[in-house]
Amino acid sequence: MPRRRSVLTTLLIVLPWTILLTIWHQNPATRYLTILRKETYENSSAKSLQFLINVTKIKEEQHTACTHQQEVTPAQQTARRYVYSRPPGWSRWLPTIYVITPTYTRPVQKAELTRLANTFLHVPNLHWIVVEDLPRRTNLVDSLLERSGLNFTHLNVESPKSVRIGLAKDSSHTPRGTLQRNLGLRWLRENLILSDSLEGVVYFADDDNTYSLELFEEMRSTQKVSVWPVAFVGGLRYEAPKVNTAGKVVGWKTVFDPNRPFAIDMAGFAINVRLVLKRPWANFQLSGVKGGYQETSLLKELVTIAELEPKAANCTKVLVWHTRTEKPTLVNEGRQGFTDLKVEV
Amino acid sequence: MKMKMKMKLKNVFMLYFLVSICGLMYALTQLGQPCDCTLHSRQSSDLVHSRDRTISRLQGELKRLQARGNPEGPPKPALPTIYTVTPTYTRLVQKAELTRLSQTLLHVPSLHWVVVEDSPVKTSLVSELLKRSGLPYTHLCTQTPKDFKLQEGDPNWLKPRGVEQRNLALQWLRENRGPSDEGVVYFADDDNTYSLRLFEEMRFTKRVSVWPVGLVGGVRFERPLVERGKVTGFYTAWKPNRPFPMDMAGFAVSLPLLLANPAARFHLSAQRGNLESSLLQALVSIEELEPRASNCTKVLVWHTRTEKPKMKQEDALILQGLGSDPSVEV
Repeated sequence: MPRRRSVLTTLLIVLPWTILLTIWHQNPATRYLTILRKETYENSSAKSLQFLINVTKIKEEQHTACTHQQEVTPAQQTARRYVYSRPPGWSRWLPTIYVITPTYTRPVQKAELTRLANTFLHVPNLHWIVVEDLPRRTNLVDSLLERSGLNFTHLNVESPKSVRIGLAKDSSHTPRGTLQRNLGLRWLRENLILSDSLEGVVYFADDDNTYSLELFEEMRSTQKVSVWPVAFVGGLRYEAPKVNTAGKVVGWKTVFDPNRPFAIDMAGFAINVRLVLKRPWANFQLSGVKGGYQETSLLKELVTIAELEPKAANCTKVLVWHTRTEKPTLVNEGRQGFTDLKVEV
Repeated sequence: MKMKMKMKLKNVFMLYFLVSICGLMYALTQLGQPCDCTLHSRQSSDLVHSRDRTISRLQGELKRLQARGNPEGPPKPALPTIYTVTPTYTRLVQKAELTRLSQTLLHVPSLHWVVVEDSPVKTSLVSELLKRSGLPYTHLCTQTPKDFKLQEGDPNWLKPRGVEQRNLALQWLRENRGPSDEGVVYFADDDNTYSLRLFEEMRFTKRVSVWPVGLVGGVRFERPLVERGKVTGFYTAWKPNRPFPMDMAGFAVSLPLLLANPAARFHLSAQRGNLESSLLQALVSIEELEPRASNCTKVLVWHTRTEKPKMKQEDALILQGLGSDPSVEV
């Protein structure tokens, strides 16, 4: 009897500990503790990113970079008296959308960038990379970006004269905006650290297109490269990727050269930023590119057609329009100019 | 025997303490290590991620709905409402134009968008767009009489456009707003570009306020000439002898002034370039104009025009009976 009692007491003493040890791993408290630890790790990586972004680059021969964050100095805040909308607060969890916009000086430039900024002010976690086609950044674009309230990076790189004037005699000319977009990609590669926790999407947005707000939410979940229809390209109402019943892209619904590897417009795809960083050699080809193959020259380095992710309800909705703005006829300016050049238009 | 039992008990207790201490040490070391059940932590962090995304989306929706305002009474502070009158007509780029215009207007507080279609019935494209825009709006429609409608191939200046539509909007305002309502009426075409600052410049208009317009009249910008805070003339290269040689986007009329002049309207018979004058002549004289935009020295609105998209391939496909899916709205 005493033996049994001692065995019983031993059992009673040991049992709670065994139970504790076995259920330790399923205890939600421990999961919470591990999540917290993960958060702090992510916080530290985000902080280092902020630090990198705040570092101004040294002036190089062809381009300079100037980056700004949401936190503004009091002087800048007073200059924004007339801005009524800030972008929605920066969320720690939403993947950032890096929008690369090449732009060049012409009469409608300020108008185009203004209405583009008005659109972007609605999109949370958007970082606008504006690349000017000039040897030096202009005050016009600089002050527009500062006053907008957006997160932005202002870069510039000059295209060779033949490209800017549009002398397309040679079929292997560099299309507009190539150098600028490549500079945007280069900036991303030099300023972001590749890690598993880095989340973001790269989108090439020309300054004369029209974007719906829904488009940005569709592209945010891109894992590799996502695609969707674009209106008013290729001489059609819209061009779209061909998606089969299994939800995979199998071809392209275009009339103009549908046999291109990627028969899609610049506004019709977005790339996960990790993929951009993983393949530092992937850029838009500068020369020897046939008309309509510019997008292919980049995408073929990044992804195969089978890996494309169709968005916009399996590519059945149009969320971006390839609008073009008419060149204003300034006939009445005359040779000496009618209007005061000091007034910015 | 008792001694043996005591010894055994002692052993048992020793064993117990040993085991429990080992267990506690093990538990402590577990605390210091990352959990090897990453599946669970990833699942829960994914849950947190997606919840946060939903929250952001809902916050955005909330913001948009709040921007609608209370139709019963003005939100605090009570800003005069800007009634933006936009005539529109069905063409390929219509949805794109209205989309990006709505994205600009959504930033402006106390704004009421009056959209008037040049159509016998309200189209579902515009109705749906307005519903989803998040703006307080009024949707009207009226068709321009056949004689005054531009034909295919006509230059865009041949006949005045949007006249009946703007007049219908004025009529709606006269029927639905009273002398106690504060506000200002602005005629905003759907292809122009507007900066956000412009709307604040026009909000507190007593009679008619004016400002420069970019990229119009064949010059970089047209503007009123201002001396000592008063408008004395207009700086424009095209037909400067008009009573009011400015563009539709260059002025705003206060609502009380419109209501006090029930006969004031745009005239279909107006000559080219005189459409604005046909309304303003009945409302105000040049001396009474209020200059804005830093005494009319800043350009806050641009008369941009959108190219007609080339449909060469689409037309070819239609001839073959293989046109694009019409159920996909563009």
